[in-house]
Amino acid sequence: MNEENLSILALIANASLLVQLVMATLFLASVLSWIMIVQRGLFLNGAQRSFRDFEDQFWSGVDLNNLYHELTERAKQQGAADGIENVFRAGFREFNRLAQSDKADPDAVMEGTDRAMRVALSREDEKLTIHLPFLASVASVSPYIGLFGTVWGIMNSFRGLAMVQQATLATVAPGISEALIATAMGLFAAIPAVIAYNRYAAKVEVINTNYETFAEEFSSILHRQVHAR
Amino acid sequence: MRNFTSYSSAALFSFLLHAAVVAALLSSWEPESKKIIIQPQYIEAKLVELAPKKKPQVKPPSKPKVDTAKKRREQEKRRAAEKRAEQLKRQAALKEQQRKDREREALEQKRREEAERQRIETEFAETLAQEQADINAREDERVANSYMQLIRQRLSDNWSRPPSARRDMEALVEIRLVPTGRVVGVTIVKSSGDIAFDRSVEQAAFKAQQFEELQQLESRLFEKHFRAVKVAFSPQDLRL
Repeated sequence: MNEENLSILALIANASLLVQLVMATLFLASVLSWIMIVQRGLFLNGAQRSFRDFEDQFWSGVDLNNLYHELTERAKQQGAADGIENVFRAGFREFNRLAQSDKADPDAVMEGTDRAMRVALSREDEKLTIHLPFLASVASVSPYIGLFGTVWGIMNSFRGLAMVQQATLATVAPGISEALIATAMGLFAAIPAVIAYNRYAAKVEVINTNYETFAEEFSSILHRQVHAR
Repeated sequence: MRNFTSYSSAALFSFLLHAAVVAALLSSWEPESKKIIIQPQYIEAKLVELAPKKKPQVKPPSKPKVDTAKKRREQEKRRAAEKRAEQLKRQAALKEQQRKDREREALEQKRREEAERQRIETEFAETLAQEQADINAREDERVANSYMQLIRQRLSDNWSRPPSARRDMEALVEIRLVPTGRVVGVTIVKSSGDIAFDRSVEQAAFKAQQFEELQQLESRLFEKHFRAVKVAFSPQDLRL
């Protein structure tokens, strides 16, 4: 009998092409999903922090015109802006534009402002949930891919078993062991993705609710203003 | 802008994480491989002192004191002279005697040394030869065992057990081989008590036909171990 080297590397190197392909796919999926996990984590944390900062600033009693100009300046400097300030700027800009024309009906002004804010809100929502579907599909599909690799590997090793006369554990064990690596890799890719997806989905929901609440509050302020005239 | 930096840092983190996992897997997560530990064959080292022990040196005899009397000088002198002469003579004789003794002793010593050395050398050579023979015998045993193992493996591969086989059955067969490894005869030495079982054992031996590997064996070893091979067949020695 030849010397059996059972190190993980040797097992992977000896696996059949299909199983190797499965393993490579799973490894790639794991790498990509971790990129998404870290990036989303940083992004969502940043969004929450900036929302808190903005709210503090907004309710500190600052003049809204000043706040608008300040934020616009900052957005111009940075090239782009994220989060709740976009909603605020869209609503405020629309409100000013509509309110400046004299024959504006207050209800029409409010309607336009609300619409502008809704558009901004849905843009922000899109930004928050990007990549989450990828994590969800890695989480649900990679165990199946791994299982497929394992089944294929075990199938082959049992086919080999049919050729020999004396079936011993030693003739099938390396094949099964090598096939099981695929399942292990599938789980390795899936588990972090599941956890991250659940966590981030909940977080996105919280942030969205925050945004909507703020938009309502801001809308009520503007409403008061437009009807007080 | 901010997005790009966060993507690159995320990618960096992900790559590092996977590299760490792969490194951990490759370095330490190997299954404990069964290693056959070969007991080293010890040769006990003994310090053999070839140089003979030195004899304690013979002390030269102390000279007797010359007796000097104050009175009767002449008589004394003469007597002293006589005495001295006598003493000198005696001393000379003693010295001569001692010299001869020493020479003889040295000669004897040399002879003894020679004998001792020869004895040690022959003893050493004998021990060496004995040890070499032991090692050879053990080596032979090992080779014979490995071929025996091979024969057993082949037989058990060819053996299809009858349904009447039970775990505690055992049949001892003698297989006669010729130096080409061909099976020329099979006899049941000890029956298992079940005819079907015995027949299946015989069948297995005949089915093996020829053990080509035995051709590589030295004829001395073949004659010693493989002219007639006794193999015990029992179902429990197989991995089921």
